[in-house]
Amino acid sequence: MTSSSRRQALLLLSPYLLGTLLLVILPAGISFALAFTRYNGVTPPVFNGAQNFQYMWREPLFRVALINSVLFITQAVPLRLLGALGLALLLNRARRGIGVYRAAAYLPTVIPDVAYALVWTWILNPLYGPLNFILAALGLPTPAWLTDPAWALRSIVFMSLFQIGEGFVILLAGLRHIPRELYESAQIDGAGRLHQFFHITLPLLSPWLILLSIRDIAVSFQSTFTPAYIMTRGGPYYATFFTPLMIYEEAFNNLRFGTGAALTLIVFAVTLCLTLLAYFAFDDWGLDEN
Amino acid sequence: MKARNFLLLTIFLLASLLPACQRAPSNQISFMVFGDPAELAAYQSLVQAFSKTHPEIQVELIHIPGQADYRKRLAADLTAGAPADVVLINYRRYAAFASIGALTPMDEYLSDSKIVSREDFYPESFDPFIWEGQLMCIPQNISSLVVYYNKDLFRAANLPFPADDWTWDEFLTAAQALTRDTNGDSTPDQFGAGLEPSLIRFAPFVWQAGGELVDDATQPTMLLLDSTEAFEAADFFFSLQNVHHVVPNAAEESAEDSESRFLNGRTAMYFNSRRGVPTYRESAAFDWDVAALPRGKTQAGILHTDGYCLPSASKNKDAAWTFIEFANSPEGQTIVAASGRTVPSLMAVAKSPAFLDSNKKPANSSIFLDSIPFIRALPVHPNWAEIEDIAGEELRSAFYGDADPYEALFRAIARTRELFVVIP
Amino acid sequence: MKIKLLRWSSLTLRFLSGHLLPILISGLFLLPLFWMLSASLRIPGTPPTRTLEWVPQPLTFGNYVSIFHILPLGRYLLNSAFVTLTGVLLTLLTASLAGFGMSRLGPRARLRLLILSIILQMIPVSALWLARFVFFARLGISNSHWALIAPALMGTSPLFILLFYWTFRRIDPAIFETAQLDGASVIKVWWHIALPLARPALMAVGMLAFFFYWNDFINPLLYLRSQNLYTLPVGLLQLQEMDKTNWPLLMAASVLITLPALAVFATLQRAVLWWDVE
Repeated sequence: MTSSSRRQALLLLSPYLLGTLLLVILPAGISFALAFTRYNGVTPPVFNGAQNFQYMWREPLFRVALINSVLFITQAVPLRLLGALGLALLLNRARRGIGVYRAAAYLPTVIPDVAYALVWTWILNPLYGPLNFILAALGLPTPAWLTDPAWALRSIVFMSLFQIGEGFVILLAGLRHIPRELYESAQIDGAGRLHQFFHITLPLLSPWLILLSIRDIAVSFQSTFTPAYIMTRGGPYYATFFTPLMIYEEAFNNLRFGTGAALTLIVFAVTLCLTLLAYFAFDDWGLDEN
Repeated sequence: MKARNFLLLTIFLLASLLPACQRAPSNQISFMVFGDPAELAAYQSLVQAFSKTHPEIQVELIHIPGQADYRKRLAADLTAGAPADVVLINYRRYAAFASIGALTPMDEYLSDSKIVSREDFYPESFDPFIWEGQLMCIPQNISSLVVYYNKDLFRAANLPFPADDWTWDEFLTAAQALTRDTNGDSTPDQFGAGLEPSLIRFAPFVWQAGGELVDDATQPTMLLLDSTEAFEAADFFFSLQNVHHVVPNAAEESAEDSESRFLNGRTAMYFNSRRGVPTYRESAAFDWDVAALPRGKTQAGILHTDGYCLPSASKNKDAAWTFIEFANSPEGQTIVAASGRTVPSLMAVAKSPAFLDSNKKPANSSIFLDSIPFIRALPVHPNWAEIEDIAGEELRSAFYGDADPYEALFRAIARTRELFVVIP
Repeated sequence: MKIKLLRWSSLTLRFLSGHLLPILISGLFLLPLFWMLSASLRIPGTPPTRTLEWVPQPLTFGNYVSIFHILPLGRYLLNSAFVTLTGVLLTLLTASLAGFGMSRLGPRARLRLLILSIILQMIPVSALWLARFVFFARLGISNSHWALIAPALMGTSPLFILLFYWTFRRIDPAIFETAQLDGASVIKVWWHIALPLARPALMAVGMLAFFFYWNDFINPLLYLRSQNLYTLPVGLLQLQEMDKTNWPLLMAASVLITLPALAVFATLQRAVLWWDVE
């Protein structure tokens, strides 16, 4: 590669690299610095060592928020992945009407987050919401959903299962990349559908599945903010109090930007660990081939 | 200089090297308020009247409906160094900002004023805005908690209207008679009362039982919710929901909140301060009035007041003061009082027809003035809003029957204790 | 006769197995949208029903009018449109430039950049809020639409850069090299040759970027002070705060904010969902 074409490539990349520097790397540096200060947003920050971390260690709400976020991720990510995989397998084959089905499955993903949260607050309304009327008609129990501490988090997991359009599309692309000949030769060998799924589809799809699940973990750290803010404000009794909401409340409600930033660092660390895990799982990411 | 401080400083210096934004021409100020659309209308007419007398100053009105979001907006704007030039803040919330020097003291502005002087104000609403000897905001009102009631529902149930000196028991009896299942599905469709389980609603009941909310009114170090008086108040307050069911339960409240139920004619009595009036005047399709807070062992009310405050970061303080002065002149307070929004903090305006106009609902407005001698204020403390949030969450759990009432009170004390200590 | 019947029933069976489940699933996924629409047509304040109501009786479209009286939603709509349009165009520009640049790097630099982009993709934005807020405040752009559009500077999401990169990698590099040998600058090659070949990626990234800016709730919530700068998602929050259980009005506003997203989806979905059907 000549140095001039290298320079040209860098020229093309410069807005992206500059943007990343300004919007990610610099803020990350500021976050890191703020995490070791007491800062109320108005008077200059004062260095206070690891006090923010000690405060979080003492403060039970911090543990509640972290546990809720982890609970959400461990429930939502596998279920969303299964849902996306199910949709992709079901709507994979090209046939009449397939575009309509795919569009329908993608539609909830199109609804803007705030509207989506409001719609589900209505659907899950314990007395007048349509969901409980249907459950009652089927003779099933009708929980108070967002008002019941035992059901609130589950409700938010449940509603997230309808917004799986992106995962569905990515897995559709993954299925496209599996060579047809593999299935044909398997059929000649007399392998059943189930056998084909477990021995061809799943192994060849697994890099996509794992990449998707890691992305979903990072997204799920984030995506709980809007539903928690709009639907429950973190309640009832902190049942839906997640880390992004806590960061926001610490900084802008309680004027403790330092602890907010410290919490930020912890979220950083957790996602970094997950990313590294993924890095060691796939040496070359398997992404550079196509 | 230590290395870590140096690192920090470098990062901040680098950030400050970037050009700060210079805006706001000298004749333009912004004014931030909270409240429902009907309340907003009151401030719009205030701004209009101001523009007539002061055409040289333009006022941009910023409206945030919810008080919790309002506080966050203000915190964010202060951090950004660009808050509105005039902000309305409740006395329970301003100390957080005053304690970090984000507000400009107004003593000198007020003493130089030719239009208003501090003697014109009710001291009960003026004093809470004095922070460490300095006046931080000018109070617009001196409201207190009252019971709004639907007269039509009382008539339909053949009940007498609440007397000015009614008691907890009389209130409960009325509420029970007004809680009704109208369609026979064995769940109530009409509730006797609507009451929010928060500390600010609970506090007057503690006082009426003869108890105290905090250990020291000026230098509080803890909530005193473990006294026998507080337990007595809790027994009454919580039982309204979890024993007598005259108030919607958690699911019913989330399905349709009590204020909507009241406005839609399906809740007979609703606890609120004066600020509900503009909305009720506009939307209530029934006959209504206000009644005094029912009495316990003693009579006590709780202060609700909001002040006009002037952020230190305002680039246009003189124009901002001119607006604050106008808003709290007899002329300005008359405009807002006429909308129903405030119980004016200027004694002269409070006793004028602008507030006591008998042609406008509520007819019984004088009870707001009658209760002033019994009004008590919550402590002014930088962390008070957070203390209220946490205590409120515990009160909620007891109110809706999800926790043992006394244990909830103990937890409220324990969980807020550390917040009373302020690190300078 | 018998054979015909048999054929017919086997056809039905095939239809059922091939279409029944997809139809059921589609119906399930359409339910939230349907309920949003149906609840928006109810008269506010009327006693709620105690039975399931598919279409409210009586029906009203008045809620769509009253939300515009309560809040300056027209203004918010324009703001949202401006932020979204600018954000999408800038995103297409930076992301396609970066994706093209990346495809022209040597293998080692490319791998490094790829890994960087994927790591960036993993960072939750909430980890950057506070610092970005402090930073934007110093820049003096915190109460402006630029604070909302800023992510477009880095292509909004590293995923978008990767989408362009994968597209450009599939194109034979000889095409670009001959053009450059003929004296075209690298920017010209990108504009005249690379971009026209990347139509599906442009459509897909355009759609996803549209959703990003149109749906953005957190950034306007954090940055915007002046009400005349508000975008629709904040308007919905305001409406909720004014009357949090007034479902007909809240649903009408939800429909209002969803419709443009639906329209964009309807126009561009082929690029994302149908590419293998034609």
